[in-house]
Amino acid sequence: MATQHSRAAARLMISPAVILLLGWMLIPLGMTIYFSFLRYNLLMPGTEAWAGFENYSYFLTDPAFFAAIWNTLFLVGGVLLITVVGGILLALLLDQPFWGQGIVRLLVIAPFFVMPTVSALVWKNMFMNPVNGLFAFLADAIGMQPVDFFAEIPLLSIILIVAWGWLPFATLILLTAMQSLDGEQLEASEMDGAGAVSRFFHIVLPHLARAITVVILIQTIFLLSIFAEILVTTNGGPGTATTNLTFLVYAESLLRFDVGTGSAGGVVAVILANIVAIFLMRMIGKNLDA
Amino acid sequence: MARAVSTRRKAAVTALAWTIGILIFFPIFWTILTSFKTEAEAVATPPSLFNFNWTLENYTTVQDRSNYGRHFLNSVVISLGSTFLGLVIAVPAAWAMAFVPGKQTKNVLMWMLSTKMLPPVGVLIPIYLIFRNTGLLDTRVALIIVLTLINLPIIVWMLYTYFREIPGEILEAARMDGATLRYEILYVLTPMALPGIASTFLLNVILAWNEAFWTLNLTAANAAPLTAFIASYSSPEGLFYAKLSAASTMAIAPILILGWFSQKQLVRGLTFGAVK
Repeated sequence: MATQHSRAAARLMISPAVILLLGWMLIPLGMTIYFSFLRYNLLMPGTEAWAGFENYSYFLTDPAFFAAIWNTLFLVGGVLLITVVGGILLALLLDQPFWGQGIVRLLVIAPFFVMPTVSALVWKNMFMNPVNGLFAFLADAIGMQPVDFFAEIPLLSIILIVAWGWLPFATLILLTAMQSLDGEQLEASEMDGAGAVSRFFHIVLPHLARAITVVILIQTIFLLSIFAEILVTTNGGPGTATTNLTFLVYAESLLRFDVGTGSAGGVVAVILANIVAIFLMRMIGKNLDA
Repeated sequence: MARAVSTRRKAAVTALAWTIGILIFFPIFWTILTSFKTEAEAVATPPSLFNFNWTLENYTTVQDRSNYGRHFLNSVVISLGSTFLGLVIAVPAAWAMAFVPGKQTKNVLMWMLSTKMLPPVGVLIPIYLIFRNTGLLDTRVALIIVLTLINLPIIVWMLYTYFREIPGEILEAARMDGATLRYEILYVLTPMALPGIASTFLLNVILAWNEAFWTLNLTAANAAPLTAFIASYSSPEGLFYAKLSAASTMAIAPILILGWFSQKQLVRGLTFGAVK
């Protein structure tokens, strides 16, 4: 149906988006790769020199790098665990008929719209503060020692804050997927005498598999780049206890002004994200054919 | 599905669902409530739920001390600006891909998505240096450019999934009836495309409003939107819970309302059409 003429027009309509994204990807990324091979500090302009793989060997052998990798994995894994398990349970609950469904849905998805700096500061001060926080008050009320969240369990505290923001996302997507489940299939299995637990594992969970995969992959992409929550609560500390890869690269380049090492770290972050991205692209690509 | 549900079961589910819903929403509720307390009442033990002297002084203090209006305006300009710019670039592209699909369309779409996977920290230094050297650091223009580019793949994708659902037969029918191209675009296509464009617009404003990597790294006093302004409360002086709450309430309220309106479209937009 498409004529030669309309094909040319289509190409013209697509090209601005393609050219801009191509520029956005290639120019800065190329510069990052180039910088990663330079000895380059913003405090000493004009002293740039070729460094070979020096930045990489420095960055990759820095103890902070191992801490950052570990923290990144722990942060991503912890948030995924909470949001996926919690999201499935919540979706199961919200899928039942009850009074006020619409309002409860609004309450549950609200945290997703709260900007990261607000949620981090509200949680840190008004809930997790060991003196004035609400948790400290509750602990006191039941005769327990208040927890000093950001001193004793800093990374776990950040995981909790981030998970609060992403739980609605997982719930919303899993709930949408659950609502497309064939009711008759469930009824049939119920008549065959399948209990609630076996119905969940044999019918509901397999039906959700695809949505769960999508939730995991998309969240991973975002969670690898968690930054604001760390910046406003702990600044990566105490020590390197809450420094993830994103924060480490930020600290190297914009706090210590070491562009070379920071760039090497940036390249490492890109490679790690790409490994996740390949899986995600396959999932979504398959859907395009369907 | 017409399954009989006993009233008792429904009541139990209602109680549980409301309890959990309220618990999840509680931090937001508490922030809004605290914004109307005095600083002393905000840290009082035991915390007061409703029996305190309601005051609006935090809202005026936040504005007086820090020029809150400016940061709010920055957020509005940056999120609306980057969304409009993104739509201007993305609508023709998504349109062409949906109605004149070629052999490469799928590859182009996948490639666009792949640019979204690039972790921002991988290009932080070059972007920072480019803006510093062009004098654009800490300007709204810089953030509009960056946010347009990072959200462009999402906009194209979302529009594409909407446009693809517009049936081509309708166009042919209109043509059979003798519709001109102008008529076709104005009266047949636009009404069908508008809901998709509106949803895309909403989701993108939300994403841009809450973006907190580039807004924190590329701004200082001048162009700082609310994400960056709120971050300044991370090193406070004296009692600040009530003021933090007032600033936070104003920062999240508009977007919370927009988000509630667009919750149905959210799933499609955020999963690139993979879950419907």
